[in-house]
Amino acid sequence: MNVCFADLHVHTALSPCADNAMTPPVIVGAALTERLGMIAVCDHNSARNVAAVQEVAGDHLVVLAGMEITTVEECHVVGLFAGAAAAEAAGAEVGACLEIIDDAYETLFGEQPVLDADGRETARERLALATATSLDVNAAVALVHRHGGLAVAAHVDRRSFGVIGQLGFFPAEAGFDAVELSRHVPAGPEHEAEYAVYGLPVLRSSDAHHVHDVGAARTEVICERPGFDELSLAVRGLEGRRIGDA
Amino acid sequence: MKLEDIARELGFTELTPEVSGSRDAEIDRGYASDLLSDVLAHAPEDGLLVTLQVHLNVIAVASHAQMAAVVFAGDRRPEDDVLAKAVAEGLSLYSSPADTFDIVGRLYALGVKGSHA
Repeated sequence: MNVCFADLHVHTALSPCADNAMTPPVIVGAALTERLGMIAVCDHNSARNVAAVQEVAGDHLVVLAGMEITTVEECHVVGLFAGAAAAEAAGAEVGACLEIIDDAYETLFGEQPVLDADGRETARERLALATATSLDVNAAVALVHRHGGLAVAAHVDRRSFGVIGQLGFFPAEAGFDAVELSRHVPAGPEHEAEYAVYGLPVLRSSDAHHVHDVGAARTEVICERPGFDELSLAVRGLEGRRIGDA
Repeated sequence: MKLEDIARELGFTELTPEVSGSRDAEIDRGYASDLLSDVLAHAPEDGLLVTLQVHLNVIAVASHAQMAAVVFAGDRRPEDDVLAKAVAEGLSLYSSPADTFDIVGRLYALGVKGSHA
């Protein structure tokens, strides 16, 4: 088995709150500089920039297809998928639960450029990605699972948009596959103890909205090689794969 | 009642002194919610928002709903980037150690009502 350092929650410029400099080449460059073996692109309520980042990464870096769904309770649920097609199919369902933006939206929430592998804007997303969908937590987790993905309770340590902060409890019945801690929780198992009680693996991700945040928190994945199937095994603790205590 | 009079009367801490234009604003409507989608859909224009949420989207949502000011309950304080965004949008922010229930009760006693009163 090998150790793979992964940052499984990185935004691109498509997310209205992310830096517009978060283009596919910039993200891949930062991940390689940080010596990450795997990242996941998780924009708010959309997977439209995933394929562009994967194209830039080529064989140099494994880029998982992801999406960060905002539930009706304003909890963030990260979905990680086997490929861009699955993520985009899930994204289409999520998009059907969003409103179209109005004239004031981009000024207040930010721009939503769809980018190609060179970082050029090819379209502007017109769905209001910054807002909540009409899916509740259980429905969001079920949607991710229906598309073959892993559902992660995003930044559960944070009061804003974490499931515990929003709901006041951890929704065990929702069926999450893992919980994610933000970079604000210091490294070390002693700081994870209160989040390990749910019986789920604890991931650490940067939730990067700016290039300097890429790799600021990372998960140690013990596996044969980086990739979605290996991560799935590690999250479930199967066949010698596991999530480390980094 | 003027915003600055309400703030003085209820002991709010002004977090955005740079935003001076709205101090004279007449406030007669308010809204209390911690769900931003709910604020976006239902908060009254030129009203006062009482909320526990302190993240950046609060500013975008309150500005989009054309609210006059936001009061953070329970002594919650936003980060500097949130304050800067509020100043840029001309939105006044206040903090209060009181909880939402008490803030709303005291606002009501001053004549600030909900949309359907």
